Amino acid sequence: MAQQAEVPLQSLYEAHKKIYPREIGGRFTRLRMLSVVVLLGIYYIMPLVQWDGRQAILFDLPARKFYLFGLTLWPQDFIYLAALLILAGLSLFFFTALIGRVWCGYACPQTVWTEAYLWMERKIEGKRGSRMKLDKAPMSGAKFRTKLLKHTVWIAFSLWTGFTFVAYFTPIRELGNNLVTLSLGPWETFWILFYGFATYGNAGFMREQVCKYMCPYARFQSAMFDADTLIVAYHPERGEPRGSRRRGVEPQSVGLGDCIDCNVCVQVCPTGIDIRDGLQYECIACSACIDACDEIMDKMNYPRGLVRYTTENSAEGKKQHIVRPRILVYATILLTLCGLLLTNLAQRIPLDLDVIRDRNSLYRETRDGLIENVYTLKILNMDDQSHRYELRAEGIDGLRLQLDEPDIRVAAGSVAELVARIQADELNLEDRSVEVRFYLQALDANHLSVVEEARFVGPGRL
Amino acid sequence: MEEMKSISLTQQFISVLWPSFAMAIVASGVFFSAFDPRDLIPYNLDIDISPLAAYSIGFLLFWLLCILSSWGTLYFAISNCRLTARHNP
Repeated sequence: MAQQAEVPLQSLYEAHKKIYPREIGGRFTRLRMLSVVVLLGIYYIMPLVQWDGRQAILFDLPARKFYLFGLTLWPQDFIYLAALLILAGLSLFFFTALIGRVWCGYACPQTVWTEAYLWMERKIEGKRGSRMKLDKAPMSGAKFRTKLLKHTVWIAFSLWTGFTFVAYFTPIRELGNNLVTLSLGPWETFWILFYGFATYGNAGFMREQVCKYMCPYARFQSAMFDADTLIVAYHPERGEPRGSRRRGVEPQSVGLGDCIDCNVCVQVCPTGIDIRDGLQYECIACSACIDACDEIMDKMNYPRGLVRYTTENSAEGKKQHIVRPRILVYATILLTLCGLLLTNLAQRIPLDLDVIRDRNSLYRETRDGLIENVYTLKILNMDDQSHRYELRAEGIDGLRLQLDEPDIRVAAGSVAELVARIQADELNLEDRSVEVRFYLQALDANHLSVVEEARFVGPGRL
Repeated sequence: MEEMKSISLTQQFISVLWPSFAMAIVASGVFFSAFDPRDLIPYNLDIDISPLAAYSIGFLLFWLLCILSSWGTLYFAISNCRLTARHNP
């Protein structure tokens, strides 16, 4: 670590200039705000939604169950969660190839929370100009009060965010009760503060730097791009040479293009780039510059679309393809996996049987001269109803199955353990160790049946 | 090579903490779906620990391990660059 001290200290990743995105209206901005409200709404309201008398989405850690509306997933079903994540990743590939970085511009939590924090900042500190002036001004009573108010509101919102996050793991009623009675557990408090602090830092301060320096997707999304991917682009042939002019002046008459070089597209950009420099990896395709430029074009009475959604091919006047091999390949993989996941989920049997052979003794001989093996059976009833079961065993001629408790009942969503003994005549054992199979069948539901294999150990042929 | 030397301390912190955080989430997910923390406490130890505490400590331990790994990578990457720079001035 001693070497690190020599490294010159600097701001986060580069000499970082704070970005003050200018407020903007327009159709894409409205769409983005709608997306922000809907997504944040889902996040904050979901823990309050009840389903079948319990929270609709809940990672119940003590019970080791994951409730997802009508579905209850057990640790054994982790594969479904993994498959769901792979599906999410693949859909990101598919949509990136088709419509570019819409995820970044409209749906990424980083964008969504940044927009929310920016909105609070605007409400308190005012428009872009006032915010810049306020930051430049020396500290005063008024500045201190404004900043204090902003951070208080931000921190309150962050804590609410952290509280909601923990409510996905501890039922929100219990958590709310604990909060009101000041009896939150140490770890609940820790995670509320941790998640709240992360939100405060990422959405309040780091903002576009997270996209530029910490996001892996921003680095590799270009691999999914081709000449037919939807991008936000400036039309240089139409815009150049740029230059200012009075309103109502025909561009050709002064030897200029349509761009009036007003810089509004740069001022609205949340990542602080100039879209006129071409496609850049910093661009999160939020399309704020499209709305900004359209507004200016309207004022100048020029046609809209100097900055617009387009594709490389259509910008160059070439033919545009929506269906292309890349899209077909991504779509095929996506649909296949989706189909597999859904069929598997539909055919999932909410019953599991674990057989553990008693490790203390290989076998013992009963008074009637039979060889006996002892097993511990774990029955997992993952259904939301209790069931009675019948247990059979096969694999050795004339084997006998003995249970301590022949009436097997397992309550909904619980595990029952029982001891089973298999006895067999030594003459019927073909080898030292033979395979036996346990068949478990629910008495009141035909489809609930499982088979589990185990070994039966004997003295072996002499 | 020059870029390696000018990595700021903050940048080093983030490049160690952030990927290890993401990997710790994956590791905890896989590990705890296979093992119930209640089964991991030895019988002869009388530890009363809430599930949330057990999962949290597990996650933080995974994070610590991943931090060590990330930090090792960063350390060798930087020091190797310095060595190469010294040999080829």
